[in-house]
Amino acid sequence: MDTGMRNRQISNAYYNVGLEKAKERDLTGAVQVLKKSLRFHKYQTDARNLLGLVYHEMGEVGAALAQWIISLNLQEENNLAEGYLKALQNASGYLDMADQAAKKYNQSLHYARNDNEDLAVLLLMRMVEEMPNYVKAQQLLALLYMHHEDYTKAGRCLFQAMKVDRFSPLTQRYMTVAKAHTGKAEVEKRKLKNAFSHRQMQDDDIILPPSYKENTGLQSVLNILAGLVMGVVVVFFLVTPTIRDSIISKYKEEIRQGLELVNQKSLQIDELNRKLEEASEAQQEAESSLEAMVNDSGSVISQYQRLAQILQAYRSEDMRTAVQFYVETDFSVLADGVLDEIASWVQQDMAVNGYPVLEQMGDEAAARGNTDQAVNYYQKSLQINGGNIGVIYKIGMAYKNAGNVDQANEFFGEIIMNHSDSEYAAQAKEARGF
Amino acid sequence: MLDFEEELKNFQPSMEIGNVEDAIGREDLTDMTDLMMELLNNK
Repeated sequence: MDTGMRNRQISNAYYNVGLEKAKERDLTGAVQVLKKSLRFHKYQTDARNLLGLVYHEMGEVGAALAQWIISLNLQEENNLAEGYLKALQNASGYLDMADQAAKKYNQSLHYARNDNEDLAVLLLMRMVEEMPNYVKAQQLLALLYMHHEDYTKAGRCLFQAMKVDRFSPLTQRYMTVAKAHTGKAEVEKRKLKNAFSHRQMQDDDIILPPSYKENTGLQSVLNILAGLVMGVVVVFFLVTPTIRDSIISKYKEEIRQGLELVNQKSLQIDELNRKLEEASEAQQEAESSLEAMVNDSGSVISQYQRLAQILQAYRSEDMRTAVQFYVETDFSVLADGVLDEIASWVQQDMAVNGYPVLEQMGDEAAARGNTDQAVNYYQKSLQINGGNIGVIYKIGMAYKNAGNVDQANEFFGEIIMNHSDSEYAAQAKEARGF
Repeated sequence: MLDFEEELKNFQPSMEIGNVEDAIGREDLTDMTDLMMELLNNK
């Protein structure tokens, strides 16, 4: 397989994965994979445009612009990047706002690194109000809040970040820390603690009457034993099956989800394999076509080569060479809009000036006694101007002079039968003898 | 649980609009095909 084609296939595969990640809002993952796609094939325009979109979604407008501009430079026609750039330019004040946001973020980072955390927080707070989808800014602000032990505010920032980039490892790690320190976890702990502690009497509590007496001595022991037995029986017949069913049900659900995920991935793999197969078939077809184009003597490239030789001969004012190449060229293959004008000019010139040159070359060959060559030149002349009766007569004469009477009479007969009103008809009859 | 100074190192500056042109100029557009051509030419 051509290595270039393989690189494009790999690039396409990475692009497809990047697209899936972007759809699932795993934007951090999408960036990594799309960059890999472009590493294999920088002209993978869709990957570059998508990378720009992902950057834009994450609030990195400058990075998005860079990718779209590069994309447009690498592919000027039919490129979505042009539309994206126009949309940004047409949105009044948007680029200024995005630029200010980037500046504020950079300034905040500088403050944070130089022990001016309060200023950093102040700048970031205002900035994320205007651009809540600026993931890096939300993450930095969350870090600053957590450094000041304000985990609730940090959680809010991280929540905003997760809405944009759901699976960012940094966001998830910070969120774990924030959750461990927020009030919600404390409330949950408190609830657990209260379940095992004594509590104050409530209105609906029952007060046992004084006449109630518990059994003592042997009866108590028997009662306790009976209670234990009853407890075991209840657990065995009622609780255990329920727990077992619950566990089974839970694992069944997990297994079902797992199978569904496997099935989805399997479908994705099948789809990617199918696309790889299609690409491979397309690549083989393209290689075959290219091979045919390069090697086949009647192929397009060969005809272009001949046209180049004709033009070179014209430039050297060597009409004889030009006309010989001309009759070997299949101009129908060259009619693809690329060099139509040049091909047309050559054909027109040859129709006027080309065939007499070949006729003269035929005359010279005939004079030298080279019948085959003479006939060859005459035939080529007829290719350009098939109505030149004189050349047909000359072919007949060439054969006759070479002693090939049958062949000669064929051409004489052609003139007599089909061009009886031409000046050569009488000569042909005389030459033929009847 | 979080080392603030270490975490700050994870954060890189954002590209401002005015720096886009420079960034494009510095962008490394070498891909696998370019690398392979370079290797073949060096052979």
